Amino acid sequence: MLQLAWSFLYWYLRPLIKWFLRRTTKLCELQRICYGVPSGAQRTLEVEFSLENSRCAEIKRLISDLNQASESNKLDANGRSIIHYAVYTVCRVKCIDLHIHSQFTKSFGACVQQIWGYRQLLQEVENLRKTSYDSTNPNHEEKLLLLWSLLKPDEQLEARISKQWQEIGFQGDDPTTDFRGMGLLGLENLIFFAREYPKAARHVLSHSRHPNYGFVYAIVGINITSMAYYLLRNGTAKTHVYNACNGIPSLKLFHIMYSYLFFEFDKFWINEKPKNVMQFSIVREKYEKGLKDSLADPKTILRLNFHVDEI
Amino acid sequence: MGLLSILRKLRSSPDKELRLLLLGLDNAGKTTLLKKLASEDVTHITPTQGFNIKSVQSEGFKLNVWDIGGQRKIRPYWRNYFENTDVLIYVIDSADRKRMEETSVELMDLLMEVKLSGVPLLVYANKQDLLNAAPASEIATSLGLLTLKDRVWQIQACSATSGEGVKDGMEWVCKNVKTKKK
Repeated sequence: MLQLAWSFLYWYLRPLIKWFLRRTTKLCELQRICYGVPSGAQRTLEVEFSLENSRCAEIKRLISDLNQASESNKLDANGRSIIHYAVYTVCRVKCIDLHIHSQFTKSFGACVQQIWGYRQLLQEVENLRKTSYDSTNPNHEEKLLLLWSLLKPDEQLEARISKQWQEIGFQGDDPTTDFRGMGLLGLENLIFFAREYPKAARHVLSHSRHPNYGFVYAIVGINITSMAYYLLRNGTAKTHVYNACNGIPSLKLFHIMYSYLFFEFDKFWINEKPKNVMQFSIVREKYEKGLKDSLADPKTILRLNFHVDEI
Repeated sequence: MGLLSILRKLRSSPDKELRLLLLGLDNAGKTTLLKKLASEDVTHITPTQGFNIKSVQSEGFKLNVWDIGGQRKIRPYWRNYFENTDVLIYVIDSADRKRMEETSVELMDLLMEVKLSGVPLLVYANKQDLLNAAPASEIATSLGLLTLKDRVWQIQACSATSGEGVKDGMEWVCKNVKTKKK
């Protein structure tokens, strides 16, 4: 309640505070952030907040232009010119001298790149997710078979429809229906983890066959895709992404984040010593809560630390 | 906590809590149905490992709906959730004719369970939006529902993704619990 009242008050007081600080420091809010706050998520999040809450019509237009560019995946091809456009617009509107404040233009440009790079990544991820797995598409089928050969290099898949799929944790004889709402994103995530970190992936797969703490590898993997997707979509993952990538984050960054989440979840699951697989939703919630808590600290970066015991 | 939510709580103190159990094979649409009942987005579903639970208000009842994963490996755990079930809701993928036999066997096993004896049964013939979906009457026959004598039952055609038919099924649930338990 108190917090609500404060945010209400702040909303009205903010322009006044900004005006006062501008007079006394001779710097606009964006400059104060770029000069005063250490680079990384902390600075970028503050810049984002400042831009999103701007009441200036030109800044608002700039934001909607940038949103459009990131949604149509234009940030890679002519990313530079869009960043310049953002920097020049802000400097013009806020009467900032480009030569005196060259440090500002650099840091601010980097923030813009991160903020809208993130939104572009979200769009990319969303597109993949929306693509349903289609068993009549040879491209999709090839990917599915690739997943098998990555996880089970020594075992031949006897038929496309086979009980063997259950060994890597699909529900039935045909994985097609298991991707559901996560679509190709789920498959691409599973493939990336198995291809880039084969030891870690097989380590997790072997845990999934544990007599007491076993789980269903692919299904849990698809649930982790859902977790990673939501963290990205609701903005919780910003801390990590802004800290981990200086420029425009690529899909690879998302895949790496997924690999981290999957590997760490496996560790967490074993440590929890669940009674049986029915504990999954409870353990998953607990794991997600811990993640959210650590991502609330703007210094957090999720570091891959694949420690696999060699036998 | 806001004033509004306190008011809301005072007003809708429900007469009775019901425990509904959602079962069925994997990919039948249990979680989608659960989310639809709770008016949530149904486009991001993943296969259920373990279970989901949600509470929904309907016709003066507080429905606690338990959605248990349908994968063969976890079917043995279904029995842990039987106790105090008010209505059993069995969900069927009407378009999956290849597994009609399998789903029928699972249902028959459930109906033999002592803890579920006499519990009203609602069968959702789901995925009616798909072209090759079997009609509800055909499913009722292949499940052998017509010979069922020990409980009240109902089959309801529905599409959990569009929501069509879902409400009719829930109305049946609320009515039949009322008559049974005064």
